[in-house]
Amino acid sequence: MVVKIIEIIASPIIAFVIGIFFLGLSRKIMARIHWRYGPPLTQPLIDVIKLFTQRSVSHGGIFNLGIILSLGGSIVVVLFLPVGQLAPLSGSGGMLVILYLMLLGPLGIALSGGEAANPNTSIGISRKLILALGYEVPLLFILLSVMTHYETISIVKIVEEQRSAAWSLFSLPLLLPGIAYLLILPAILGIRPFEVVQAPQEISSGPMVEYGGVFLALAQIQHAFSLFIGIALFVNLFLGGASNPAIFFLKMLVVFIVELFINAAFPRLRVEQAVKYLWRWPTLVAFIGLIAILIIR
Amino acid sequence: MRLELLLIIAFGGAFLTYFLGKISHRVRDYFTVFVSCALTGLVAYLYGNDFEKIFYLGFLGIPLHLRLNMLSWFFAVTVAGVGALSIIFSLRYIRERERTDFYYLMMGLVNAGMLGIVLSGDLVSFYIFWEIMSWSAFLLISYNRGPALAAGMKYIVMSVVGSVCMLIGMLSLYASYETLVITELSVHIASASHGYVLFLLLLFFVAFGIKNAVWPFHTWLPPAHSEAPSPFSAVLSGILVRMGMYGFLVFFYAILGLKLFLGLGRGLYSFHHILAWIGAINIVIPTFIAMLQNDSKRLLAWHGVGQGGYMVLGTVLGTPLGLAGGTFHIVNHTSYIALLFLVVGAVEYRTKGVRDLNSLGGLIKKMPITFIGALVGSCGLIGVPLTNGFVSKWLIYKTLILGGHPLLAFAALIGTWGTILSLYKFLHNMFLGQLPEKYKNIEKAPLSMQFPIIVFSLIIILFGILPGIPLKVINAIGTSFGLETLNVTIWGISSETGTLNTINIFVAIVAACIIVWLISKAGKKSIPVAQADSYAAGASVPVDKYHYTVDFYNPLYRMIAPYLRDFVDEFYMKLAKWTRGLCNGVRRVYVGDVGYYVIYIIFFLALLIFIQLKWSIW
Repeated sequence: MVVKIIEIIASPIIAFVIGIFFLGLSRKIMARIHWRYGPPLTQPLIDVIKLFTQRSVSHGGIFNLGIILSLGGSIVVVLFLPVGQLAPLSGSGGMLVILYLMLLGPLGIALSGGEAANPNTSIGISRKLILALGYEVPLLFILLSVMTHYETISIVKIVEEQRSAAWSLFSLPLLLPGIAYLLILPAILGIRPFEVVQAPQEISSGPMVEYGGVFLALAQIQHAFSLFIGIALFVNLFLGGASNPAIFFLKMLVVFIVELFINAAFPRLRVEQAVKYLWRWPTLVAFIGLIAILIIR
Repeated sequence: MRLELLLIIAFGGAFLTYFLGKISHRVRDYFTVFVSCALTGLVAYLYGNDFEKIFYLGFLGIPLHLRLNMLSWFFAVTVAGVGALSIIFSLRYIRERERTDFYYLMMGLVNAGMLGIVLSGDLVSFYIFWEIMSWSAFLLISYNRGPALAAGMKYIVMSVVGSVCMLIGMLSLYASYETLVITELSVHIASASHGYVLFLLLLFFVAFGIKNAVWPFHTWLPPAHSEAPSPFSAVLSGILVRMGMYGFLVFFYAILGLKLFLGLGRGLYSFHHILAWIGAINIVIPTFIAMLQNDSKRLLAWHGVGQGGYMVLGTVLGTPLGLAGGTFHIVNHTSYIALLFLVVGAVEYRTKGVRDLNSLGGLIKKMPITFIGALVGSCGLIGVPLTNGFVSKWLIYKTLILGGHPLLAFAALIGTWGTILSLYKFLHNMFLGQLPEKYKNIEKAPLSMQFPIIVFSLIIILFGILPGIPLKVINAIGTSFGLETLNVTIWGISSETGTLNTINIFVAIVAACIIVWLISKAGKKSIPVAQADSYAAGASVPVDKYHYTVDFYNPLYRMIAPYLRDFVDEFYMKLAKWTRGLCNGVRRVYVGDVGYYVIYIIFFLALLIFIQLKWSIW
């Protein structure tokens, strides 16, 4: 019981630290690729603390509550995801619950941004939802292939199975879904070439535009958590999870740096182009993988 | 407590309401609310009873059976509950309209008819009540006149086709076994040949599929739901359509039985597997069509079609978990779709009949309770954790994934994403975004409209956090069909292949949100600002000139709209056009003038004589 409580407290903190570190790291690495010096690694944390001392405007009840729901939902997802051996709540419903809890983050932001009555917010949310529909098609094929292959809906079992055999990414039938996941990961994380939602130069950060002060701080933390969730899911499903949080972090770091290079190298697509791409190549690869698994069974 | 008393109250109450309305509208309103609430109470009181009663006064010499078991109780209590809440909602909604007495009479008859259906123990009484329900529903759908008349006509034509199929099936059953009592049929039919069972299945599939709006028989539903008065739309989409589901359950499991139903055909070509694929199509296409709608009720109506797919998908696979999920989804769907139709009704009432999503907006500040209802209902329809929709969908997905049907599971899961997109549009375009100038002085919904909205919202959340309450009843239904008993607890379902614990999820979400809220308290307090005071990158946001809820998903719309035509409806409309052309041709022949007929007769006789002279056949 005590162990469980410690786990429940520990895993969101780990996720927060890793997520915030990744935000800082991404600015640093992007700066170096641009031949700049870049801000210190702790800059996002400093920003969050600073934002707590500033005032924000508020557009009403749902504007305030939506962002809280969004961050709360993201924290809960972390409790269901194995981080190393820490997986405090994964026994309460497995993969399907994670899939649905991952809704709460975007839903909260969408509700909150909707009440802001700002054109940029509305455009951003509409893009976010369209993009999500775009990557959800391949993502569902990927998750279903993994679940069908291991014949379980529990993510802890999937991680355990990989420990006794090879990583999913290198076991043949799951290779294709693994590649498809890598292809859509930038869209899940919302980085270039799929940076259509925030698009600072175009729609002034989209859903974030009306936030300031505490709300912007919460939105930043939520962003950190969503980075963590997107990568952690890949590490758990395809890279065999990890036996302790440190190795888990290293695996995440490798994936994240690869994604950063993609982010640095590509320009931004328009949302239709993004959806067309997502519904074409990753979907095809994931679908072939799923069919292969079905045939092998 | 006697079952016939229940039906007498239901039917008698409906007619008495009509006559009381001639005396005083106020008395009629109290009376109809009293009757509908009393029925709910009586049905609820009958929980757990299991009995059958036979009346020999019979129709065509066939004795009439009334019976109550767990399945019929489950449906009866839903029928009575939704009926009562929608009648309470109607009090204000319908007050200023014409023909209110007629409206209440028909509402009463629809509810009584549905109660009769679920309580009847033989197919003859089933059919009689089915027709009462269908025809009173027709009168209510076309209550608004104008486009509603066409919608009602479309409904009744398809409904009659379904009834005819059912009648043929019944006659065939009676000719074979000389009985139409459900329990007796289930004994006799065990020895039937597979060909005969398939014939019956197809007939009853068409009969119930039309009512249940299963693809490709769904085309009557979108116009009917959007044109009917909103409180009746709630009943129609919530439970009346699901009488088709009840028919499926009774026919597939109570009459045919598990073994016969699952034994038809093999592997991918088995009957229930094909039905499951129809269910999958039924989820994906309507849900994506819903995304493109701009009429709030039509959007919900398409979801009514789409959600039916989940029920079919869950129930036809014949596993305990799937049946539990599908059956649970019926009552969940009832609660949130009825809630959403009532929300639209409240908005429609306050904005004087506006249903166009492109011309609403910002109503959250004016109608907060209605917004909460819309939010809870939308979350239920999407299946967000903490709502009942999540639990039933979880059960269905788990059945599909562990049963080795990942493609069916994909259809079900992607349907959820279509639902999210369309329902966010629904919420955003009605309640969020800019409040147009013309709605500045709108009032919040009247109390008699808020009450049903609040009750439905509470039910959705209660069943989402404590799904064990309805699942206990559903488990008993499954057991009565001969399926294994599930290990149901108050917080969900536990099993070796994966446990669902809704209380853990609930506590985790609430605790996380409270912690985040407390953290946010540490920062400086925010300043409330006016709607127009927002940042637009240097430009000012024009007030009331610039409505960005229009074309909310335009990029996606341009991409997928060409593929999402309702081909089935187009085919039926063409069929109707050809039929009309054919009838017109026939009408040209039958002009009604005796002179023409004499000429036809002479020509015909001449033809006969000619044939005889030429070939001498006779």
